[in-house]
Amino acid sequence: MFSTLRSILWAVACVWVLVGCEAGPPPTNLAPAKEKAAQCVEPTQDIRKNHMAYLMKHRDETVLDGIRTPQHSLAECINCHVAPTRADGSPVHYEDQDHFCATCHTYAGVKLDCFQCHADRPEVTNQPNYQHKIGSSESYHFTNQVSKAASLSAQDVKTLTNEVVQ
Amino acid sequence: MSTNQVNEYRRRFMAGLGLVTGATLASNFVLRSTEAAELVSRPDNEPASSAKRWGMLIDVNRLTEGGAAMVEACKKEHGWGNDPQSSAEQQPQWMRVVKVTDKTTQHSFQLPVMCQHCANPPCVDVCPTGASMKRADGIVYVNKHICIGCRYCMMACPYKARSFVHEPLKDQKVHSPRGMGTVESCNMCVHRIDKGQLPACVEAAPEAVIFGDLNDPESRISQAMKALGGKQIRADLGLNTGVRYLNI
Repeated sequence: MFSTLRSILWAVACVWVLVGCEAGPPPTNLAPAKEKAAQCVEPTQDIRKNHMAYLMKHRDETVLDGIRTPQHSLAECINCHVAPTRADGSPVHYEDQDHFCATCHTYAGVKLDCFQCHADRPEVTNQPNYQHKIGSSESYHFTNQVSKAASLSAQDVKTLTNEVVQ
Repeated sequence: MSTNQVNEYRRRFMAGLGLVTGATLASNFVLRSTEAAELVSRPDNEPASSAKRWGMLIDVNRLTEGGAAMVEACKKEHGWGNDPQSSAEQQPQWMRVVKVTDKTTQHSFQLPVMCQHCANPPCVDVCPTGASMKRADGIVYVNKHICIGCRYCMMACPYKARSFVHEPLKDQKVHSPRGMGTVESCNMCVHRIDKGQLPACVEAAPEAVIFGDLNDPESRISQAMKALGGKQIRADLGLNTGVRYLNI
């Protein structure tokens, strides 16, 4: 009797654990500008798997040699993916669950070291290129992927420009 | 005294006057024409080249309050100097104004002191991890990715140019990452130089500072140093600094 009960309880516990594994990563908190862009600087699957390798390579090229291409730059990642504040105006930092990087890193249990030194949200005041202002000569998405960026509707453009021009 | 001798004295005196006037005019001409025109932004996929060596020449007489405006511009550009939990002694200091007084004459002057961007930097010699580095174009700075915060470089630097960050920081400048446990110092605004802009402190004192390429004999800074000289602080150490001073 006891052994049957024990095995049933054991089975329930296993199923319980497995159910926990079923839950996928929470949806990432994308900044408005990013939601409109068709593709990241690399294909999405590639960037999900290898972003750390791209960043590591780029960081050494930048610090040691002064190569400052925007494609794999951490500052550009943040510029596009992170909104500086929430809707209520409070700042978003990387320790918060709703920061773009934290959404997935918390789920995967991987510590984030970048932002002990690097800015974890875009600087809006001194940054004319914040979230790739349309027509900006510096932006990556709008100069290298013009055809993809052109899918913005008139309403989107209006919303974005209203948000950027202060 | 014969007439000939008097004429000789007069000639020498007038020649001397001429030299002084010439030097003053040259100083005006050279220093007034400081502009960013010489700086060309390197394509962003091209590494820094050892064909150039960046340096600056600071005329101490033309600075107000020993270059306090330069220090302020540096603070603003890199966001140092106001770390909330650090004491005054712990605050990072990328650049400071130093007052020097000659004890016998009481003559004193002030000068801004920051990383002197030595050609033979002692901080690079002592670094156990290779984090303290000199870039190909002569700019000396810390690669904070591999800095372990041992602070040997701070002790090795004869100019007291390096500081240590003692506390966790938030909302750093995008172009100037700073973080706890790493050493930091003036990096000659390397992010601005790469874009073809002048360092922030040079922009804050355009009348007093020339920035340019020390390797190019035709550059404004080389011409100015040829005409007027350019002293190193602690020249006896033989470090061949990239930052030079006039009128010290």
